[in-house]
Amino acid sequence: MATTTKPSRSQTLAKTAMYPLDWLEERSGLVGGVKYFLFRKVPGDTSWWHTLGSATLTAFLVQLVTGVILAMYYKPDVNSAHESVEHITHDVWGGWLVRGMHRWGASVFIILMFMHMGRVFLFGAYKYPRELNWIVGVLILATGLFEGLTGYLLPFDQTAYWATVVAININGTAPFVGPWLASVLRGGAEIGPDTLARFYSIHMLLVPGALIGLIGLHLYLVVRLGVTSPPWSKEAADREPDPEPPPPRSGMVQPAPRAAGVRRRPSE
Amino acid sequence: MSSIDERRAGFQRYKENVKKRGKPFYPYAMFHDTVMSLVVVCVIVGLAIVWRYTSVLGELIGDKADPGTIQFVPRPDWYFYFLFYLLRIFKWPNSVILATVGIPTLLLIILLIMPFVDTRRERRLTRRPVAVVAAALVIISMGVLTYKGATAQEAIASEVKAAIPSWAKKQGFQNNKEALAGANLFAESGCTNCHTYLGTGSSNLGAPDLSAEGAKNKGIQFQIDHLKCPSCVNPGSPMPQFAPLGEDNLHKLATFLEASKGSQ
Repeated sequence: MATTTKPSRSQTLAKTAMYPLDWLEERSGLVGGVKYFLFRKVPGDTSWWHTLGSATLTAFLVQLVTGVILAMYYKPDVNSAHESVEHITHDVWGGWLVRGMHRWGASVFIILMFMHMGRVFLFGAYKYPRELNWIVGVLILATGLFEGLTGYLLPFDQTAYWATVVAININGTAPFVGPWLASVLRGGAEIGPDTLARFYSIHMLLVPGALIGLIGLHLYLVVRLGVTSPPWSKEAADREPDPEPPPPRSGMVQPAPRAAGVRRRPSE
Repeated sequence: MSSIDERRAGFQRYKENVKKRGKPFYPYAMFHDTVMSLVVVCVIVGLAIVWRYTSVLGELIGDKADPGTIQFVPRPDWYFYFLFYLLRIFKWPNSVILATVGIPTLLLIILLIMPFVDTRRERRLTRRPVAVVAAALVIISMGVLTYKGATAQEAIASEVKAAIPSWAKKQGFQNNKEALAGANLFAESGCTNCHTYLGTGSSNLGAPDLSAEGAKNKGIQFQIDHLKCPSCVNPGSPMPQFAPLGEDNLHKLATFLEASKGSQ
């Protein structure tokens, strides 16, 4: 019979410290989820090439944080939008930095999306079973570009205004949905005060919401399916095993046909 | 093309190998990710600083938008330059729809169906010549179009104005005051940012050459209606509305356009 010894001080301390985590784990499984995320195995040849996705995510997070700060000062109204952006740029402490990071972070985000997509293409990482994640990625790219388009109007200077006028008109040339889409973007038949408010709402609520959802799904699929080894890697995780050396010949028996057909089934 | 069984077997092999020989995401891969993320944040901050303290990256903010002044350059952000430049290649009204809708839609569809077209398991670049050539062509063409879009010059109003006397001579409207006033408005109102006229201006956004617009004899009233609301007359026209110029000015512009019968 094992004697029940009194738990030592350090054991009690550890248990107390871990209590909130245990509580959370028991009720949500979140701790296990995070542990799984951190300690899941990735292929041994995972390299700097694989950082482009997380770099894109970082750029997106920068956009979220700086965007929230800008929204505290920006006024989506045709009469005060331009002034409020000037106020942010020249008067608000650190305002130029936050706006500059948002302005140029958008470019970095888009460049990184394209680079990440190029990497995935060259690695052949869109192939089975990751087709769906490629599609989600393409949707993120298209949505991200649309986010750039809607944000471009907000400083409400001449370039922004007229580029948007033409962009909306171009939208209107699309068959069937074009005129309807253009009128939704404009908030009416003409570009007016409603247009700016509409672009602002789309830019900071609708599209970021969609992006967060798509990125969440994208990451879920990455964790579920794993990342792809570089195709040139000697130890690529999905590499076919080296063909077995032919067994020594004995007498007249030819083992060759069996060796060649090892991976093939008659049905193929 | 690899059969689904082969592809499933490949993924099974992947999972087993990663389990056996893989390394944990933390700390190995996460170290790389963290360093790269820090680089990204530093680059963004660096760009913001360069933007603030030098003029390399353009002005901090332009003049306030004014729907009344039509003097403008409809230039998108740089990552749309490749589409922007396509609109100089495809012209209104026949083929502009290719640039505005056709090519972007086609690119999107190609991207979406790609994993279902390329179903081979092969990932090595040397064994995927079609994919490598296609990728190279896309990168080169997008690079060239972006560069061309970035370096495309817009017409400057003062230069356009200097050309007016020669226009009047060639078109024979030196004595038509209304048409001359219209030519001035044409130069000042940014028309030549998209349209060309007797070799002046920049062909942009698919806009047609207007040197011989009057030869179509559509009439002054048609020209006024079109200027007021281009897409009402030409459904799908991306041209902005010039109604803010006012009835008098529109009449002058229309007279000028109708007097433009093409270089004699």
